[in-house]
Amino acid sequence: MRWTLDEVEAELLRTLIASLAEVLAGADPRDVAVQRLFPRTVTGDDDADAELRGLIHEDLAGVKRAGLDALAALLDGGSRRGAGLRVELSPDDTLLVLGVLNDVRLAIGARIGIEQLDRDDVDPDSSLGHRLAVMDHLGLWQEMLLAIVDPPAVRIHDLDLPDDLGPTEHGPDT
Amino acid sequence: MTPSLAGPASAPVRERETDTTERVLPDAPWDVIVWDDPVNLMSYVVFVLRRVFGFSEPVARKLMLEVHTKGRSLVASEPREQAERYVSELHGYGLQATMERSS
Repeated sequence: MRWTLDEVEAELLRTLIASLAEVLAGADPRDVAVQRLFPRTVTGDDDADAELRGLIHEDLAGVKRAGLDALAALLDGGSRRGAGLRVELSPDDTLLVLGVLNDVRLAIGARIGIEQLDRDDVDPDSSLGHRLAVMDHLGLWQEMLLAIVDPPAVRIHDLDLPDDLGPTEHGPDT
Repeated sequence: MTPSLAGPASAPVRERETDTTERVLPDAPWDVIVWDDPVNLMSYVVFVLRRVFGFSEPVARKLMLEVHTKGRSLVASEPREQAERYVSELHGYGLQATMERSS
Protein backbone atom coordinates (compact mmCIF):
# COMPACT_ATOMS: atom_id res chain seq x y z
CA MET A 1 0.00 0.00 0.00
CA ARG A 2 0.97 3.61 -0.38
CA TRP A 3 1.18 5.70 2.78
CA THR A 4 1.39 9.45 2.39
CA LEU A 5 2.45 11.61 5.32
CA ASP A 6 2.83 15.34 5.40
CA GLU A 7 6.06 16.85 6.66
CA VAL A 8 4.78 17.46 10.19
CA GLU A 9 3.49 13.89 10.47
CA ALA A 10 6.75 12.38 9.26
CA GLU A 11 8.78 14.50 11.67
CA LEU A 12 6.43 13.64 14.53
CA LEU A 13 6.74 9.95 13.76
CA ARG A 14 10.54 10.14 13.66
CA THR A 15 10.54 11.86 17.04
CA LEU A 16 8.21 9.26 18.52
CA ILE A 17 10.32 6.42 17.15
CA ALA A 18 13.42 7.93 18.73
CA SER A 19 11.64 8.41 22.07
CA LEU A 20 10.42 4.85 22.17
CA ALA A 21 13.88 3.58 21.24
CA GLU A 22 15.19 5.50 24.27
CA VAL A 23 12.53 3.95 26.48
CA LEU A 24 13.53 0.48 25.31
CA ALA A 25 17.22 1.20 25.68
CA GLY A 26 16.71 2.61 29.17
CA ALA A 27 14.66 -0.45 30.15
CA ASP A 28 13.97 1.18 33.51
CA PRO A 29 11.58 -1.13 35.37
CA ARG A 30 10.15 1.92 37.20
CA ASP A 31 9.18 3.50 33.86
CA VAL A 32 5.43 3.07 33.41
CA ALA A 33 5.92 2.81 29.65
CA VAL A 34 8.34 -0.09 30.14
CA GLN A 35 5.89 -1.69 32.55
CA ARG A 36 3.12 -1.44 29.97
CA LEU A 37 5.18 -2.80 27.08
CA PHE A 38 6.41 -5.73 29.17
CA PRO A 39 3.39 -6.55 31.29
CA ARG A 40 2.68 -9.29 33.79
CA THR A 41 2.52 -12.76 32.25
CA VAL A 42 1.13 -15.00 35.02
CA THR A 43 -1.36 -14.20 37.75
CA GLY A 44 -1.58 -16.12 41.01
CA ASP A 45 2.02 -17.30 40.88
CA ASP A 46 4.74 -14.66 41.15
CA ASP A 47 7.57 -17.14 40.61
CA ALA A 48 6.02 -18.39 37.39
CA ASP A 49 5.47 -14.79 36.30
CA ALA A 50 9.11 -13.84 36.91
CA GLU A 51 10.27 -16.96 35.12
CA LEU A 52 8.13 -16.45 32.03
CA ARG A 53 8.90 -12.74 31.87
CA GLY A 54 12.59 -13.61 31.96
CA LEU A 55 12.11 -16.14 29.18
CA ILE A 56 10.34 -13.83 26.78
CA HIS A 57 11.72 -10.39 27.65
CA GLU A 58 14.76 -10.35 25.44
CA ASP A 59 12.95 -11.53 22.32
CA LEU A 60 10.03 -9.19 22.96
CA ALA A 61 12.36 -6.21 23.36
CA GLY A 62 14.34 -7.27 20.29
CA VAL A 63 11.23 -7.46 18.12
CA LYS A 64 10.08 -4.05 19.32
CA ARG A 65 13.50 -2.48 18.66
CA ALA A 66 13.69 -4.09 15.21
CA GLY A 67 10.22 -2.72 14.43
CA LEU A 68 11.32 0.81 15.30
CA ASP A 69 14.46 0.49 13.18
CA ALA A 70 12.45 -0.88 10.28
CA LEU A 71 9.90 1.92 10.41
CA ALA A 72 12.68 4.51 10.59
CA ALA A 73 14.23 2.91 7.51
CA LEU A 74 10.88 2.95 5.69
CA LEU A 75 10.55 6.67 6.38
CA ASP A 76 14.11 7.28 5.23
CA GLY A 77 13.37 5.32 2.05
CA GLY A 78 10.18 7.24 1.30
CA SER A 79 9.95 9.50 -1.70
CA ARG A 80 9.31 13.22 -1.36
CA ARG A 81 6.00 14.42 -2.71
CA GLY A 82 5.90 18.18 -2.46
CA ALA A 83 6.04 18.92 1.24
CA GLY A 84 5.09 15.34 2.08
CA LEU A 85 6.51 11.88 2.09
CA ARG A 86 5.25 8.83 0.24
CA VAL A 87 6.12 5.43 1.69
CA GLU A 88 5.42 2.15 -0.09
CA LEU A 89 4.45 -0.60 2.36
CA SER A 90 4.62 -4.30 1.57
CA PRO A 91 2.12 -6.54 3.41
CA ASP A 92 4.81 -7.36 5.99
CA ASP A 93 5.63 -3.67 6.36
CA THR A 94 1.97 -2.94 6.97
CA LEU A 95 1.85 -5.38 9.89
CA LEU A 96 5.08 -4.00 11.23
CA VAL A 97 3.90 -0.39 11.13
CA LEU A 98 0.63 -1.40 12.79
CA GLY A 99 2.58 -2.92 15.68
CA VAL A 100 4.98 0.00 16.07
CA LEU A 101 2.13 2.51 16.09
CA ASN A 102 0.46 0.44 18.78
CA ASP A 103 3.61 0.32 20.92
CA VAL A 104 4.03 4.08 20.61
CA ARG A 105 0.42 4.64 21.63
CA LEU A 106 0.77 2.27 24.57
CA ALA A 107 3.90 4.10 25.75
CA ILE A 108 2.28 7.54 25.48
CA GLY A 109 -0.86 6.25 27.20
CA ALA A 110 1.17 4.87 30.08
CA ARG A 111 3.16 8.07 30.47
CA ILE A 112 0.07 10.28 30.64
CA GLY A 113 -1.69 7.93 33.04
CA ILE A 114 -4.54 7.28 30.64
CA GLU A 115 -6.08 4.69 32.96
CA GLN A 116 -7.00 7.47 35.39
CA LEU A 117 -7.67 10.15 32.82
CA ASP A 118 -11.06 11.65 32.08
CA ARG A 119 -10.77 12.98 28.56
CA ASP A 120 -13.60 15.43 29.10
CA ASP A 121 -11.45 17.28 31.65
CA VAL A 122 -8.47 17.66 29.35
CA ASP A 123 -7.80 21.04 27.77
CA PRO A 124 -7.12 20.27 24.10
CA ASP A 125 -4.52 23.03 23.99
CA SER A 126 -2.55 21.67 26.94
CA SER A 127 0.47 19.45 26.60
CA LEU A 128 -1.69 16.56 27.75
CA GLY A 129 -4.30 17.45 25.15
CA HIS A 130 -1.64 17.44 22.47
CA ARG A 131 -0.41 14.02 23.48
CA LEU A 132 -3.93 12.66 23.39
CA ALA A 133 -4.33 14.14 19.92
CA VAL A 134 -1.13 12.39 18.83
CA MET A 135 -2.45 9.10 20.17
CA ASP A 136 -5.69 9.60 18.27
CA HIS A 137 -3.86 10.46 15.09
CA LEU A 138 -1.72 7.32 15.30
CA GLY A 139 -4.93 5.43 16.03
CA LEU A 140 -6.43 6.69 12.77
CA TRP A 141 -3.38 5.38 10.94
CA GLN A 142 -3.87 2.06 12.68
CA GLU A 143 -7.47 1.94 11.48
CA MET A 144 -6.32 2.66 7.96
CA LEU A 145 -3.77 -0.16 8.10
CA LEU A 146 -6.24 -2.56 9.74
CA ALA A 147 -8.72 -1.93 6.96
CA ILE A 148 -6.10 -3.34 4.61
CA VAL A 149 -4.65 -6.24 6.61
CA ASP A 150 -7.94 -7.45 8.11
CA PRO A 151 -11.05 -5.72 6.75
CA PRO A 152 -13.53 -7.67 8.92
CA ALA A 153 -11.78 -6.37 12.04
CA VAL A 154 -12.75 -2.77 11.30
CA ARG A 155 -16.46 -3.35 10.88
CA ILE A 156 -16.78 -1.72 14.25
CA HIS A 157 -15.82 1.88 13.91
CA ASP A 158 -13.58 2.92 16.74
CA LEU A 159 -14.00 6.59 16.07
CA ASP A 160 -15.62 8.33 18.95
CA LEU A 161 -18.11 10.36 17.01
CA PRO A 162 -19.86 13.33 18.55
CA ASP A 163 -23.45 12.65 19.58
CA ASP A 164 -24.94 14.38 16.58
CA LEU A 165 -22.85 12.38 14.13
CA GLY A 166 -23.53 8.86 15.20
CA PRO A 167 -23.80 6.31 17.97
CA THR A 168 -21.27 6.59 20.78
CA GLU A 169 -21.67 3.27 22.54
CA HIS A 170 -18.42 2.09 21.02
CA GLY A 171 -15.63 4.05 22.65
CA PRO A 172 -12.14 4.37 21.25
CA ASP A 173 -10.74 1.76 23.65
CA THR A 174 -11.38 -1.93 24.14
CA MET B 1 15.10 -12.22 12.29
CA THR B 2 14.76 -9.92 9.33
CA PRO B 3 13.46 -6.45 10.08
CA SER B 4 10.69 -6.86 7.57
CA LEU B 5 9.30 -9.70 9.65
CA ALA B 6 9.72 -7.95 12.97
CA GLY B 7 6.70 -6.54 14.66
CA PRO B 8 3.45 -8.09 15.65
CA ALA B 9 3.66 -10.86 13.08
CA SER B 10 6.56 -12.43 14.90
CA ALA B 11 5.96 -12.69 18.60
CA PRO B 12 8.92 -14.02 20.52
CA VAL B 13 8.93 -17.61 21.67
CA ARG B 14 11.85 -19.07 23.49
CA GLU B 15 12.29 -22.64 24.58
CA ARG B 16 11.89 -23.23 28.27
CA GLU B 17 14.97 -24.34 30.19
CA THR B 18 14.87 -28.01 30.99
CA ASP B 19 15.24 -27.52 34.76
CA THR B 20 11.69 -26.26 35.04
CA THR B 21 9.51 -28.32 37.30
CA GLU B 22 5.83 -28.53 36.77
CA ARG B 23 4.46 -27.55 40.11
CA VAL B 24 1.02 -28.99 39.98
CA LEU B 25 -0.48 -31.46 37.55
CA PRO B 26 1.66 -31.37 34.43
CA ASP B 27 -1.30 -31.43 32.08
CA ALA B 28 -3.64 -29.24 34.09
CA PRO B 29 -4.82 -26.49 31.76
CA TRP B 30 -3.97 -22.82 32.11
CA ASP B 31 -6.41 -20.09 31.19
CA VAL B 32 -5.23 -17.29 28.94
CA ILE B 33 -6.94 -14.02 29.84
CA VAL B 34 -7.03 -10.79 27.85
CA TRP B 35 -7.56 -7.68 30.00
CA ASP B 36 -9.25 -4.41 29.18
CA ASP B 37 -6.97 -1.62 28.13
CA PRO B 38 -7.77 2.03 27.42
CA VAL B 39 -5.38 2.31 24.49
CA ASN B 40 -5.76 -0.70 22.22
CA LEU B 41 -8.38 -0.07 19.55
CA MET B 42 -11.37 -2.37 19.45
CA SER B 43 -10.65 -3.22 15.83
CA TYR B 44 -7.00 -3.91 16.68
CA VAL B 45 -8.01 -6.36 19.41
CA VAL B 46 -10.33 -8.16 16.98
CA PHE B 47 -7.48 -8.32 14.47
CA VAL B 48 -5.02 -9.72 17.04
CA LEU B 49 -7.46 -12.36 18.30
CA ARG B 50 -8.16 -13.43 14.72
CA ARG B 51 -4.49 -13.58 13.88
CA VAL B 52 -3.25 -15.35 17.01
CA PHE B 53 -6.09 -17.81 17.48
CA GLY B 54 -7.57 -18.00 14.00
CA PHE B 55 -11.01 -17.02 15.30
CA SER B 56 -13.77 -16.05 12.93
CA GLU B 57 -14.68 -12.38 13.02
CA PRO B 58 -17.89 -12.88 15.06
CA VAL B 59 -16.06 -14.95 17.68
CA ALA B 60 -13.18 -12.49 17.90
CA ARG B 61 -15.62 -9.60 18.18
CA LYS B 62 -17.64 -11.33 20.90
CA LEU B 63 -14.46 -11.89 22.95
CA MET B 64 -13.28 -8.33 22.34
CA LEU B 65 -16.63 -6.96 23.53
CA GLU B 66 -16.39 -9.16 26.61
CA VAL B 67 -13.00 -7.60 27.35
CA HIS B 68 -14.50 -4.18 26.76
CA THR B 69 -17.58 -4.60 28.92
CA LYS B 70 -16.43 -7.04 31.61
CA GLY B 71 -12.79 -6.06 31.87
CA ARG B 72 -11.42 -9.44 30.90
CA SER B 73 -12.09 -12.40 28.69
CA LEU B 74 -10.95 -16.00 28.73
CA VAL B 75 -9.61 -16.58 25.24
CA ALA B 76 -7.95 -19.98 25.56
CA SER B 77 -7.45 -22.84 27.99
CA GLU B 78 -4.38 -24.86 27.14
CA PRO B 79 -1.52 -26.90 28.54
CA ARG B 80 1.10 -24.69 30.17
CA GLU B 81 3.57 -24.39 27.32
CA GLN B 82 0.91 -23.54 24.76
CA ALA B 83 -0.58 -20.99 27.13
CA GLU B 84 2.88 -19.44 27.51
CA ARG B 85 3.25 -19.21 23.75
CA TYR B 86 -0.10 -17.46 23.49
CA VAL B 87 0.73 -14.97 26.28
CA SER B 88 4.08 -14.24 24.68
CA GLU B 89 2.52 -13.75 21.27
CA LEU B 90 -0.23 -11.50 22.64
CA HIS B 91 2.41 -9.39 24.40
CA GLY B 92 4.17 -9.12 21.06
CA TYR B 93 1.03 -7.38 19.80
CA GLY B 94 0.78 -5.20 22.90
CA LEU B 95 -2.31 -6.81 24.42
CA GLN B 96 -2.43 -7.18 28.19
CA ALA B 97 -2.66 -10.94 28.48
CA THR B 98 -1.94 -13.19 31.42
CA MET B 99 -2.29 -16.86 32.19
CA GLU B 100 -3.51 -18.53 35.35
CA ARG B 101 -4.26 -22.05 36.44
CA SER B 102 -7.75 -23.13 35.46
CA SER B 103 -9.97 -23.32 38.48
